[in-house]
Amino acid sequence: MTTYTFRLLFLGFALLFASCSNDDDTITVTPLGDYENGILISHEGNFGLGNASVSYVSNDFMTVDNGIFEGVNSSPLGDSAQSIAFNGDLAYIIVNGSNAIEIVNRYTFESVATINTGLNNPRYMAFANGKGYVTNWGDGTVTTDDYIAIIDTTSNALEAQTISVAEGPERIMTIGNTIYVAHKGGFGQNNILSKIDAISNSVATITVGDVPNSMQLDASGNLWVLCEGNPSWSSSGETAGQLAKVNTADDSVTMINFQVTQHPSFLSLDNGALYYYLGGSVYRMETTATNLPTSSEIDGLNFYGMTTNNGILYGVDAVDFSSNGSISAYNLSTNTMSGSAELGIIPSGIYVN
Amino acid sequence: MRQLSFILLMLSFLGIGHSQSISDSIQQLDEVVLSDFKLKRYANGYKVTVLSDSVLRKNQASLTDVLRFNSNIYFKENGFGMVSSPSFRGTNASQTAVVWNGININSQLNGQADFNTISTSNYDNVSIRSGGGSVQYGSGAIGGTVHLSNELDFSPHLNHQLQLAYGSFETKRLAYRTAFGSEKWSGSVGVGYLNSDNDYRFLGTDRRNENAAFDNLDISLNLGYTLSKKDVVKAFHQNFRSDRELSETLLAPSKSKLENEDYRTMLEWSHISNRFTSSIKAVHLKESFRYFENKDLIHFSKGQATTWLLKHHFKTDILKRLTLSVITDYSYVTAEGDSFSNPKRNAFSATAIVSHRPIRHLQYNINVRKDVISDFESPLVFSADMSYSIFKPYTLKLNASKNFRVPTFNDLYWNPGGNLDLKPEESFQVDLGHELRFKNILAKFNSFYIETTDLIEWQPNNMNGYWSPVNVANARHYGLESEMQVSRSIVSHQFLLLANYTFTKAEDVDQDQPLFYVPEHKVTASLSYSYKAFTMFYQHLYNGEVTIIGDTLDGFDVGNIGLSYTFNNKNKVQYIANLRINNVYNSYYENVALRPMPNRNFNFNMTLKF
Repeated sequence: MTTYTFRLLFLGFALLFASCSNDDDTITVTPLGDYENGILISHEGNFGLGNASVSYVSNDFMTVDNGIFEGVNSSPLGDSAQSIAFNGDLAYIIVNGSNAIEIVNRYTFESVATINTGLNNPRYMAFANGKGYVTNWGDGTVTTDDYIAIIDTTSNALEAQTISVAEGPERIMTIGNTIYVAHKGGFGQNNILSKIDAISNSVATITVGDVPNSMQLDASGNLWVLCEGNPSWSSSGETAGQLAKVNTADDSVTMINFQVTQHPSFLSLDNGALYYYLGGSVYRMETTATNLPTSSEIDGLNFYGMTTNNGILYGVDAVDFSSNGSISAYNLSTNTMSGSAELGIIPSGIYVN
Repeated sequence: MRQLSFILLMLSFLGIGHSQSISDSIQQLDEVVLSDFKLKRYANGYKVTVLSDSVLRKNQASLTDVLRFNSNIYFKENGFGMVSSPSFRGTNASQTAVVWNGININSQLNGQADFNTISTSNYDNVSIRSGGGSVQYGSGAIGGTVHLSNELDFSPHLNHQLQLAYGSFETKRLAYRTAFGSEKWSGSVGVGYLNSDNDYRFLGTDRRNENAAFDNLDISLNLGYTLSKKDVVKAFHQNFRSDRELSETLLAPSKSKLENEDYRTMLEWSHISNRFTSSIKAVHLKESFRYFENKDLIHFSKGQATTWLLKHHFKTDILKRLTLSVITDYSYVTAEGDSFSNPKRNAFSATAIVSHRPIRHLQYNINVRKDVISDFESPLVFSADMSYSIFKPYTLKLNASKNFRVPTFNDLYWNPGGNLDLKPEESFQVDLGHELRFKNILAKFNSFYIETTDLIEWQPNNMNGYWSPVNVANARHYGLESEMQVSRSIVSHQFLLLANYTFTKAEDVDQDQPLFYVPEHKVTASLSYSYKAFTMFYQHLYNGEVTIIGDTLDGFDVGNIGLSYTFNNKNKVQYIANLRINNVYNSYYENVALRPMPNRNFNFNMTLKF
């Protein structure tokens, strides 16, 4: 509520200034909505408690608006928002626990459509060939029912056809009409990428390291896949994290190994450099490097999600999973914090809007 | 260790305590009839509320429903009939112990008792003892204890009771009980079966409570035999099995289900003489569950725990009004399941209780207990209570205790996350009670203060990416409980009012915020009126607002009414027709956020007694 009041106050000042300025020769740009020029943060909320939400933070961190989906549409977002994917003016919010996708205008957050059939444990989404592709775990305890659901982006309706894939499809990205799916492994662990032709829906498999959790495509056409390795409690034994470099021209894979007890996550790309999170620190590695960095850039962090954009690194802290989380921004040229804001319960995904 | 030798020292004194005593026949009767006689003997300074057989039969079969409308305990029920956990005086789900015929039956896996896996069909009474009881009932008896009792009556009798019920949402219930007794033998057999589609409409929507059907079966066999004037052997057995779909929330669909099965068996031999009483109990408990993420598939995860317990109670009268009891028990617990590899636990405990009545109107008890548990260090706990009837209608009650809750198998051994470095939670509490007893009015007022340290909470660990339990939180609870019973007869018209009001403040001391799911106010009231063979009653529950993660959940009011008529009420064979309307105002309410409770519904019940 205070942030809302603050925004109104801010808006009041803006109008005041606007009315004082000479607007004869300014070019007016019609704003697309309240939520452009900023960052959207998806919040998982507590599983089963139905308190998923989305927050908006302006680029200057002056405006913070929590719970914008419910604020705009007067209905709760759902249970466990896993991720957001953008296509044109639309944002697709994948709500894992509700088995639903809420489609909204990404700038106004007004609801456009809801898809709540044909999904089973939906995770992430990407677009190619006029369609949206959504990774689905199926039942967590079943290893053979995982699939990619297909959504027609003109009608926003689910297509009847699905693409069966191996266990635990998680992150998904498209390069032209080629879809790459990282199989983190659902309740268990997996170690492959699915490479899907969006025209024929044929699936090929590329083996990477154990538990691939994030992917980035660099300017030279290399797909970097960060694999966190099997955790210590895994029935097949703990394995080291690995950074896989997949040459998308010939699907050849080069691996860089972490130590056995190191399980990195949140691979990001900014200005030709890769960033990842490991044990409370952020590391930076040039895409031309062949060895892992030995020293960290930023330390003392507690991130539950991280991304980079235009020289800024954003991280969210979910604290104890029952109190409000926060977002912090770090200037990557100085590695110093440039802004922070309080968010809602269990923030996880960060998206530049 | 020093405390243990102290107890052993006290034990060795018993041999020389050859004092004469005047046997109290009423007390001896308790020991014959009841297995949980500690509840009667050593709870003088505690508030104990007994829900009789007639209250139990008037309510629905689940313990959640009985206690929600008739006690100060608040329940978090995940939709009607689903998993239900208590909050007693603001404590959490694993800090209320459920005691079956004197034995703590909280799950060895998660430390809790799911009150929807306990049927009241086959008990003679249910008692609620407010306040800490770890000395007598072990781990988890922090907020209070709920006692399920089967009595064995050795007076000559034979009676049967058959109940058939049908209600809204295709709810069907069948219960049969028989009890018999002679001078030598006493026994009871009970079977209760409940089945419901439970597909009530969510008020204000066109949705129904999907995936919420359940059924359960409760079987109880109890037998007692008097070997001699001084020796009684008793056997108790109970088997409960339930199969529940786990309902969806307003925002998340569900297709999962949970199957539970519990076996409880106890053999007891009591020797009662003028000089001493000795009872030995051998107990076997087995709990198991199977959880299906998708009820249509064969995949499930499972867990089970088995407890073997040997318990000895020795009581002697040292002086005319001074008795000493020594209780020792040994238990061996094993568990197996998908999330841990066969943990075992050996536990030994020794308790000494001194009970003294220096003057006629004053009694006090002092209890000390030490546990030696194989996987961690356990604290020395104690309690002291007294009851003083200062003047005629007024009794002052006071108790103070130190209590504990041991880490469960899940806390210690869950893979991943189990933490072997956990310590037991410790709690200190004081309770001051006032009791006023007039001819037709009984009023009780209790104020309590509880401080709990080293509370075990599962927290995310960002370094290794999984959740793990840690002794992290400290809590403070204080509040007020009041209870009133008023009965009145005007010619053949009989009125009975039972009311409870509870004020509870419970806060996390470090975070300086209220604990989740603790209502500040809870009120229950029931008024019944009978005239000859006709009875009607009204029950009301007001449950105040509760704090939940990031929000609050509104309080609510729910009312139920019931009518019953006994045919042929002067004869041995009786028919009772009973109509009950639950949620008569058709209120929308949620016990747990996003899980609506049933709208107005009906239940028709025929009882045949002969």
